[in-house]
Amino acid sequence: MIKNSYTLHVTRYTSKNKCTSRVTAVTLLTAYCLLLAVLCSCSPKKESLYRKTMILMDTVVTIHVVADSEEAADRAMAKAFEAIGKLDMLLNFFSDKSELALINRNAGVSGVRVSPETLEVIEKAVYASEQSGGAFDVTIGPESSLWNFVTRAKPDDKAVSEKLGLVNYRLIDLAKEKSVVALKKKGMLIDLGGIAKGYAADRAAEALKRHGIKSGLVAVAGDIKAFGLKQDGKPWRVGIRNPRQKGKDDEILATIELRDMAISTSGDYERFFIIDGERFHHILDPRTGYPARGCQSVSVMAKDGVSTDSFSTAVFVLGPEKGMELLKHLGFEGMIVDKEGKIHITPGIKDKIEFKRNS
Amino acid sequence: MSLKETVNGTTLGDRILFILLLIVSFIGIFFMKEVLPQPRDVTIEVEGKLTHRYPLDTDRRVEVGSPFGHLTLEIKDRKARVTGASCPNKLCELQGWISRGVIICLPGRITVTVGGSEEPKDRKVDAITG
Amino acid sequence: MQLQDKYRIAILSAYALALHGFESLIPMPIPWIRVGLANIITVAAFILFGFRAAMMVTLVRVFIASLFTGSFLGPGFILSLGGGVSGILAMGFVLSLLPGLFGPVGLSLIGALFHNLAQLFLAYILFIQKIEPVLIITPVLILIGTVTGLVNGLVADLLVKGLKNSGVTIQNTPQ
Repeated sequence: MIKNSYTLHVTRYTSKNKCTSRVTAVTLLTAYCLLLAVLCSCSPKKESLYRKTMILMDTVVTIHVVADSEEAADRAMAKAFEAIGKLDMLLNFFSDKSELALINRNAGVSGVRVSPETLEVIEKAVYASEQSGGAFDVTIGPESSLWNFVTRAKPDDKAVSEKLGLVNYRLIDLAKEKSVVALKKKGMLIDLGGIAKGYAADRAAEALKRHGIKSGLVAVAGDIKAFGLKQDGKPWRVGIRNPRQKGKDDEILATIELRDMAISTSGDYERFFIIDGERFHHILDPRTGYPARGCQSVSVMAKDGVSTDSFSTAVFVLGPEKGMELLKHLGFEGMIVDKEGKIHITPGIKDKIEFKRNS
Repeated sequence: MSLKETVNGTTLGDRILFILLLIVSFIGIFFMKEVLPQPRDVTIEVEGKLTHRYPLDTDRRVEVGSPFGHLTLEIKDRKARVTGASCPNKLCELQGWISRGVIICLPGRITVTVGGSEEPKDRKVDAITG
Repeated sequence: MQLQDKYRIAILSAYALALHGFESLIPMPIPWIRVGLANIITVAAFILFGFRAAMMVTLVRVFIASLFTGSFLGPGFILSLGGGVSGILAMGFVLSLLPGLFGPVGLSLIGALFHNLAQLFLAYILFIQKIEPVLIITPVLILIGTVTGLVNGLVADLLVKGLKNSGVTIQNTPQ
């Protein structure tokens, strides 16, 4: 009986106000959608991670960006790849058409007028050569072209010692105001292999920023430049490759968080061959013309990739002790795996680096 | 006016809805358990920092200490539990064996997570240098 | 709104707040599980005075409770508001579309269900942003919501009939 009175209420309620209740219902539904929209907009704009990979500069270039739409991400990434592509045209050691090839062909003959990018990267390379006391030398070209890591050809000692006289960054003549680069000795060759990729990562990151990207990561092979925070508010996380990888699970030695920083690694495992148990790799000591022996791998962190790329090579050549001193002098952070596999790190990254337990 | 009367007073719609919701949620619970990847490892965090990670398929006993206390973690048959905690209320021990989820020792500021697929994903790197 | 309605809403809101506060004193094994005792008042208000009163009671409760606990505009507040409003809207829609099919218990179940679904949705969009934990938790919350919804519905029904029986004057003035 009581139940009846309740149902009575319900029926009366609906039948009497059927029309108004419809209107109310629609109004309320609209209001509700608005409420949900407002609540959702309380959160920061939903951003996603976009990634693209291309083969440029004879290597794999991967760009990650955080953007609120795929179009925005694509647009910025296209510009970044374009910037790297342009550098590839200018700085390719093996292409006859590059500005670098032009400088090298005119070694000992005349200076070459170059674009601002080429000038800047050579300037930075000379700076790194100076700072490292020649442990990194951008004129390593005559020596590096003697080695071929694909055909596993070891040059003979005579050829190596003959060319040593051509390796000297002090013989680069930089006329900044005129944008002219000259090599003073015939046969000299600038090889930007130890700096161009880091520089390319910087330029690509700048292109992304110019096109409205607040957070991104550019990896030109192992030269990585990261800026901003990921969409989950965390820094970019970069793995440092294990120089003596044995299986599938120990690819990474350690991970480190990057924010508005670049990191590069030079390792003896990238291009190498082994003859009679001796490892010959691509990081040559400019003072001897032979592979540097002190380290297995060196990772350097700094503000820009142009520095990390060149100085990781420099530190590798210098070896663990002197390399650590150089990092300290420059105020850079880094990790060195010496020839015994022992790990040395700079004090500044103690809390930022995380070693994989099982490796 | 009694509860019995009220229960009897429910409509058929009420009853069908109730049964339906029960069935749906039970199926859901069962389904989710099957579909989701099995937890793979146990991670221990002290004050929010990852300190240990052990695979769930190896039985072991581990002593974990922090500046605030200590506990013993036991892994057995893909389950984990906490014993011998230094805290006074032993809440973490009362949770017993868990096959998925978190045991938190608040006084010791130690977190034991029997991880699903989330944790390793979080640890994944964005790029590799070298 | 008539003066009398205001009194009713005020009194019902006070009851809801009291239950809300009482519930927060009960220790729960898992912190985010709530019985939702205040929803007894919501359901009762809905049956006795209709949609608008129930909505007002809920809004008043959510706002005032958040001011008491200091969570105003915080995550908990957004979830409570979204869940509460969704629950009542769902109840309102079901009642106006299918009058008579469900009694108080059914309405309470629907309210609980949509309350939970809305909260899960909001939590996913705003805070968690990972689908897996939300999927794990969804059926569990639906199950708990079904049980508490049943209990709340029965108690609300008892309350409404008790009030009617006890001779307290309740005017069934449809709005």
